[in-house]
Amino acid sequence: MAAGRGIRSRRGRRKMNKAFELQLTSMMDVLVIIVVFLLKSYNISTHNFSNASGLQLPISGSQDNPTDSVQVIVTPESLTLDNERILDFQQLALNAGSKEATYAFKSTDLSDGGRLIVPLHDALIKAKERTELLLAKSKARVDGKPIPFEGILAVQADKRIKYDTIRKIMFSAGAAGYKMVRFLAMKKET
Amino acid sequence: MLNRPSSRRKSHSEGIELNLVPILDTMVTLIGFLLFTTSFLAIVSIESPIPGRAPDDPNKKPDEKPLQLTVELNAKSIEVYSYSEKFPRKSLPNTAEGKVDLKSLHETIIEVKKRFPAEENIVLTPSEGIAYESMISVMDAVRELETTDPSIYRKNATTGVDEVVKNLFPKVLFGNLQAGGT
Repeated sequence: MAAGRGIRSRRGRRKMNKAFELQLTSMMDVLVIIVVFLLKSYNISTHNFSNASGLQLPISGSQDNPTDSVQVIVTPESLTLDNERILDFQQLALNAGSKEATYAFKSTDLSDGGRLIVPLHDALIKAKERTELLLAKSKARVDGKPIPFEGILAVQADKRIKYDTIRKIMFSAGAAGYKMVRFLAMKKET
Repeated sequence: MLNRPSSRRKSHSEGIELNLVPILDTMVTLIGFLLFTTSFLAIVSIESPIPGRAPDDPNKKPDEKPLQLTVELNAKSIEVYSYSEKFPRKSLPNTAEGKVDLKSLHETIIEVKKRFPAEENIVLTPSEGIAYESMISVMDAVRELETTDPSIYRKNATTGVDEVVKNLFPKVLFGNLQAGGT
């Protein structure tokens, strides 16, 4: 009885092996749908913004997509321009060590009546000169002249940052010859 | 030599089988590439010109007083006023939880936009202690027109047709950049 079942099953297996063929058509259908979906949701934007760890961006309902530009990252502890750490804030002695410690600029970093951040200003001028040099070397021309420097500074700031810091950054950018500030935020879910 | 009619029929019915495996390979590679390059981090931007650099609008009549709509963000309230006093000053205190009253601000701004539909500039003067998050939400409230808001119409100067206004005051300027810091 047992032997008979065994033979039958072996025979059955052989038959199945011969007839078995993977149904690729349905799989293709699924993959095509996934590809179409991904292509549709593919965000064609040129930005390459790195996100600093621990940075909490605010949420905005704006619809504008940012393009690539010089970017400054402001965390509660430090200031970074194009992946280069420019300065660290000084922790205030008032509530040092606690989770809600407050940070401020070192007095040596500020000038012009406390309005200008000197290291940021210098780094912004360097970044501007670098971009202008690249534009002058590139073959893209407008009326025979190199494309003028856009002068846009993207600001990626933590939502807890105070306006005072933002104002100093904007003032420094203005003094360095930048014309526009672009605040970056997370897109609001609709 | 020709096959027998019966076998000929059989060979026809088998048909050509398309080799789908290479197409499948391409698809899988494409999906991998798309998944890898898609940025799931959706970042948007709000632009603001740095004052003192933008040239004046040449089309503006020199004797016409600009509206200069100003929103002053203080620690406990928001003041909405026009420098040329074209509408009464409005003070919006913070909510009971100590947060900025964005709803009232948005409604006030819509009222102003109804009266001055051609105006696009707004001056923001936040005080030093205002958090960046509040600043961004206030900028949203004065720039964007929500879908639930009433429609505002503006007469097109060239065609004379009423057009729906899409934004409130999209050009946000900061009015106190030159003020001294601490």
